[in-house]
Amino acid sequence: MSGRRVRALFRRVVQEIRRDRPSLALLFIAPILVTGLVTFILREGQTPPVDAVIVNGAGAPGIAAAGVIKTALEADGGTARIVPDAATAEEQVRDGSAMLAITLPAGLGSGGATITVLTDGLDPSGEASQVAALQRALIGAATAITGASPPTIEHTTLYGTPSRDPISSFAPAIVGFFAYFFVYILTGVSFLRERTGGTLERLMATPVTRGEIVTGYILGFGLFATIQVALLMTWALSSLHVPAIGPLPDFWVGLGIPIAGSPVYAFLVVVLTALGAVSLGIFLSTFARTELQIIQFIPLVLVPQFLLSGVLFPVSSLPAIVQPIARIMPLTYTVEGLRQVFIAGADLASAALRFDLLVLAGFAVFFATIASLTIRRDVV
Amino acid sequence: MTVTTPAPAGSDADALPAVRAIGLVKVFGTIRAVDDVSFDLAPGRIYGLLGPNGSGKTTLIRLLTGLTRTTAGRAEVLGTAMPSRPTLGRIGYMTQSDGIYPALTAGENARFFAATYGVEGPAAVADALRVVDLGDRVDSIAGTLSGGQRRRLSLACALVHRPPVLFLDEPTVGVDPLLRVEFWAHFRALADGGATIIVSSHVMDEADRCDELLFVRSGKIIARGTGLEIRTQAGTDDLEQAFLRLGGDAAVNR
Repeated sequence: MSGRRVRALFRRVVQEIRRDRPSLALLFIAPILVTGLVTFILREGQTPPVDAVIVNGAGAPGIAAAGVIKTALEADGGTARIVPDAATAEEQVRDGSAMLAITLPAGLGSGGATITVLTDGLDPSGEASQVAALQRALIGAATAITGASPPTIEHTTLYGTPSRDPISSFAPAIVGFFAYFFVYILTGVSFLRERTGGTLERLMATPVTRGEIVTGYILGFGLFATIQVALLMTWALSSLHVPAIGPLPDFWVGLGIPIAGSPVYAFLVVVLTALGAVSLGIFLSTFARTELQIIQFIPLVLVPQFLLSGVLFPVSSLPAIVQPIARIMPLTYTVEGLRQVFIAGADLASAALRFDLLVLAGFAVFFATIASLTIRRDVV
Repeated sequence: MTVTTPAPAGSDADALPAVRAIGLVKVFGTIRAVDDVSFDLAPGRIYGLLGPNGSGKTTLIRLLTGLTRTTAGRAEVLGTAMPSRPTLGRIGYMTQSDGIYPALTAGENARFFAATYGVEGPAAVADALRVVDLGDRVDSIAGTLSGGQRRRLSLACALVHRPPVLFLDEPTVGVDPLLRVEFWAHFRALADGGATIIVSSHVMDEADRCDELLFVRSGKIIARGTGLEIRTQAGTDDLEQAFLRLGGDAAVNR
């Protein structure tokens, strides 16, 4: 491997990206916009107030219970109305004037009674939270009726606090995913151009080796990936308060995501991930004939990784069959490593973090090897 | 690293062929793209590889440069069996497509390919661009150049290390007649300096600019000689007719 030739390849890749303004914007601005949006949704998202109708089949105890439910729902900005029968209640759920229809059964006061709740079933997760709100209201009602309060649960955690910012477990994963995603697209497309534009053919007729090409690419895109990750991390971790100037209100710059460990380790995890993505892009460009096909690989290669990596669902909650698949995907280790650093404050003394870093480095080397093997001299 | 200069014409290099094909065969599936081709090409001459599209000219060039693995036979360039990485450093290859980076300037393109050959310093790059008359477009983005200018830049990138052997795959496609004359004058100057040039073309009117012609048909060399020799052999003044007469039977039989 010749240092000079690698340097020439590196310089060329950098020159090309630097001239490509839209790609630079994609690389640097898009992840900041998207992480900002995700954070905003998770932090400022709201549970809409519940409008319920109550069918009282329980007589006098039911009136008391309905009163407690009404008070609880109204405290959250909702409403509760008593309707005469189940048919009316169902009609109101159907036409949208009520979200929940609650039926209080006969024998409500005698214990073991089942209260039924009817919803339209269009938004399962939203309805689940409404039913949960009702459950809390009913515990209050039971306490009011029987006078004895049930035991309460107090939740503490080893790392962080249980009621911490919802973004703190989600954001690190998102940061890792975006580094992977954008670096893959850029390298894939740019190496495909090398294949289709005749420059790879020409390069192969020079003394340049396949290993030198892949190394030059990894260094060139690695440079931009490193800048991207540094920018994204700064954005995610900082919270800079800008005071009000004239008519402009004061505002905060950065997501202010708490990090328990050192940003350096988080940075290391993401950069290793991005280096793997460079080689993956080169490798997959072998199987694409057009730039559109590079994009078409996204649902095939990136979406499953996103779904299985633990960003949305913990790996341990996945069906047993797909768990081994999650274990052979680099992004799983990125998410795990970043959570170790962000939440548990892991450093190199942590075996878990060392393992994640080692696996990511292994993936980067593995993909670089198969990428250079796919740059065959026999192109035709 | 030193710049390789072509061997002077008329030296003892005449004894050794610059390019040799020894029973070259390349099979793609059921197609024999190159079918038992053997020849020796002497240094300091321009060879025209002539034949219709799909006759196997590009595959033959790719076999000679070692870009494609041979099915059988062997290729030698400057006395070395191909593929050979050190020898690749002494070959210039102009691909059929421009093979330049549109986002880079003309100068950056030439500098990059120079560096891949181990040639550094601005002199070689400036020389190569001047030779193709792009001296004033060094800082122009390659993608904004005209088709003819891109073709010239492509040639400059193949010459930047002053290779003793040059493979030019249809270098004059899409090049206007005036520029074509300049290209050929330039090829002649390089050959006079000792370089061996293999030019593929499907345009017969370029044939007389070559020292020797090799007619390629269905992966075989069907005739070889100077323009005059081939005309005499075929009994016609028209090279197009000569091509049909010399290879026509074989083509019909297929």
